[in-house]
Amino acid sequence: MKKVYAVLLAILLLLSFSQAALAGGGGPPEGVKVGVFTSVNPDDNTAVFMQNGKSDATVLKLGETVKAGAIPVDQKVMISLDKAENGEETVKDVSRMFIGLKLEKILALLLIGLIGGLLSGFIGSGGAFVLTPSMMSLGVPGAVAVASNMCHKFPKAMVGAYKRFKYGQVDLKLGLVMAFSAIAGVQIGIKIQKIILNNWGNAGSNLYVSLVFVAVLVIVGGYVFHDARKLAKGGSEVTTSKLALALQKVQIPPMMNFKTAGVRLSAWVTLPVGLATGMLAATIAVGGFIGVPGMIYVVGASALVASATELVVAFIMGFWGSVQWGISGLIDIRMTLLILAGSLFGVQLGALGTTYVKDYVIKIVMGAVMLIVAVSRGAKVPVYLSDLGLMNVNSGMEHVLNSISFWALVAALATAGIIITGAMVKGMMQSRAEERHALQESVAKHG
Amino acid sequence: MAAYKKRKPYVKAIIFGIVSVFSYIYLFKNVGLVMEGFTRGGAYAALPVITAFYFSFVHAAFCSNVLEIMGLEAKRKKSVPVKG
Repeated sequence: MKKVYAVLLAILLLLSFSQAALAGGGGPPEGVKVGVFTSVNPDDNTAVFMQNGKSDATVLKLGETVKAGAIPVDQKVMISLDKAENGEETVKDVSRMFIGLKLEKILALLLIGLIGGLLSGFIGSGGAFVLTPSMMSLGVPGAVAVASNMCHKFPKAMVGAYKRFKYGQVDLKLGLVMAFSAIAGVQIGIKIQKIILNNWGNAGSNLYVSLVFVAVLVIVGGYVFHDARKLAKGGSEVTTSKLALALQKVQIPPMMNFKTAGVRLSAWVTLPVGLATGMLAATIAVGGFIGVPGMIYVVGASALVASATELVVAFIMGFWGSVQWGISGLIDIRMTLLILAGSLFGVQLGALGTTYVKDYVIKIVMGAVMLIVAVSRGAKVPVYLSDLGLMNVNSGMEHVLNSISFWALVAALATAGIIITGAMVKGMMQSRAEERHALQESVAKHG
Repeated sequence: MAAYKKRKPYVKAIIFGIVSVFSYIYLFKNVGLVMEGFTRGGAYAALPVITAFYFSFVHAAFCSNVLEIMGLEAKRKKSVPVKG
């Protein structure tokens, strides 16, 4: 039976990879090129561009928004191209790929990495939603921020998954099934995104992403938080959700046994959860926000097992994504390693923290983070509506909304950091008191 | 059970710490060369991925030992996870 699963997973893996290679995968958007400008000619508004991996230089026309004097020569840049109706390509945007790293930026990356890692080790996902915007606010181009972040995600998740596997919390088989079905889901998500981008343009796509983000986070996060609060008050017993119990009765073969999670489920139930995770990951870039609740409420795993298993999913998807972004040459390894320096501490601390807390604490952290992140994204919706001409937002208001959006993310991370640390310290003190008590009792008994 | 006290992994932490610090210094000293090679794209994608793997092994081992020295370890006896 194990052989059958191995073959099935290998086929799924190969299919996903070949499809990803054909479709361009979860990598950077089209029209983005990486290379170096060797010279600029302000007279006819053109510049000579040497693209990565190509031996011939091309002369590119600069768009209206790009000033010839502001173009960095002989430095690695990322350019966005705009195709005119006559097929001529013009440079729409030029950004220097790799920012200078000063001490305060280095410290910021170390700290964000540490708390992001703590969250990731504890709830199985997180960090990325705050790391990418934080890096962008330090002046990193969006695509480089996503790429460098992705390259830090998979080693961090690997270490977290290893630690939690040692604590007996990881259901490896569930993780593999989820990951490979999620990779297939990513392909569907990318296709949907492309359709929306073609029909409604960039502003439409941003609005769609934000609406999905806010809707999913408010509904799922609200439910997780409500469930956790009910459990925290001690009002009810920790039970498997009614939905999961009903789905466990579905006996359509092939059936899958998940030992650590303690469930036996039809593949027809498990695979859609993975697909939905992947689709969401392609859309809002945080698949864990659906993967963990999916494993808890649909599959029927405990929050402890679900959050640990999500780390396996994050490792596989992060690795696959990093290869895609690496092929485009957009990973800034300096930033990747600086975040890793903090997050490898954080992820192990978060992982060991789960052994001291009750199951519902993981749900509280997850629900709280999801709801605060929803506020962050919700604040951006009026800006996108204004881009589409559906609402009027002036530049002052836009600035305020962007600030609210950014600081809400910081608040989400800080809240998570405080709850996790508090719960961990409390759990550790309780555990030590119990150990002391047990020792005193045994000394008293044996004289 | 508490009568037995585990030895703290000072030597391991120091070795992995030194290797980790030297790796970081080496990479940042040669950052120009590294960035040039790592951002070429194509098959060069293997470079950042392998580097990330390498640092995750060395630096994670250092972190793990430091946490252990600080007395931050997983609870020894974990109750069976409850469903929910």
